[in-house]
Amino acid sequence: MTRDRSFLRDNSLTLVFGAGFLLTLAGQAIAGHADFNNQLTAEELHPVSFGGYLLSADFAVDVTENWQSEYLQFFLYIFGTVWLLQRGSPESKQLHKAGPESDAEQKVGQYAKPDSPRWAAAQGARQAWYARSLGTLMCTLFLLSWLAQSVTGVAAYNEQHLRELQAPISWFDYLGAADFWSRTLQNWQSELLAVGSMAIFSVYLRQRGSPESKPVGASHEATGVEG
Amino acid sequence: MRAMRSGLLAAALLGALTACGNLDAREDGAAGAASRFEASLRATDTVRSCAALAPGTRDELEQTAELPCARALPEAGLPPAEKVRTVDVYGRQARVVTDKDTLFLSAFPGGWKITAAGCTARPEKPYQCLIKGG
Repeated sequence: MTRDRSFLRDNSLTLVFGAGFLLTLAGQAIAGHADFNNQLTAEELHPVSFGGYLLSADFAVDVTENWQSEYLQFFLYIFGTVWLLQRGSPESKQLHKAGPESDAEQKVGQYAKPDSPRWAAAQGARQAWYARSLGTLMCTLFLLSWLAQSVTGVAAYNEQHLRELQAPISWFDYLGAADFWSRTLQNWQSELLAVGSMAIFSVYLRQRGSPESKPVGASHEATGVEG
Repeated sequence: MRAMRSGLLAAALLGALTACGNLDAREDGAAGAASRFEASLRATDTVRSCAALAPGTRDELEQTAELPCARALPEAGLPPAEKVRTVDVYGRQARVVTDKDTLFLSAFPGGWKITAAGCTARPEKPYQCLIKGG
């Protein structure tokens, strides 16, 4: 196997989902542009170019409202599964391991291995930060995406309001507006549904070969076992 | 991969800066269009006033009055204003509040056009306007 083919195979999960993301984002832009222009045309206003739509608040809010909920989902999942358990689920850790676990189990500080990340072997703040870096990044991306949703959301909301001959509102007013919370909560509920159903379905159902599933022959009682 | 990430970041920053930099220009454009419309009303230059209207607004005015725009517009009773007080621009839509009137505008290839004028605010409802699109 050549080095290039090996790289593609070894990173296929990230590459395929990354490419899928770009393709679907492009599809969303094309469909969103057509929908936006349909509204403008119906109101006898001039349609916007594709490039103009990509820079519009309408497109930005539709993108960021989904981003924030996805990052929230992963933040809650990463953080929540430290403590929350589901008997029989491969998404859960073993039932006696609830909590941050011992240094030995986590291979940090004096228990770090030669191939452990350097900051896992470090002491103090660096180790504490690195030990929470995945959740911290997801939480940061969630907060930034949610902030971006609110900023682009108020612009899109006000643009539509002006088309409907209504007064624009401030960013602070928008944070309490039904539009902001409708966009936010419709995404949160779907993410929580997906996580909750995955946790319980994976107790009883299997997907052969997937690390998200238990081995096909594993007991329904087996917890924290990945296939 | 790093070059691609840097390119995407630069494109996002450029887009944000372009959007911010354009805001002042768009506000000036909307305010200028409103001022020129008000000046044409004061001068009773109906040709210029009608040319400043968005196509949908002009059509609605003519159909409602059953008159050509140049004759229908003076009968609409728009209050000619002197000064622009505030301008709000979001995307391709704008609201311009003058000393005597509130106007709504939309961006067209030839510049900002008036979509509604003679507008009065109503609590919890859209503005009530003397002229507007259909």
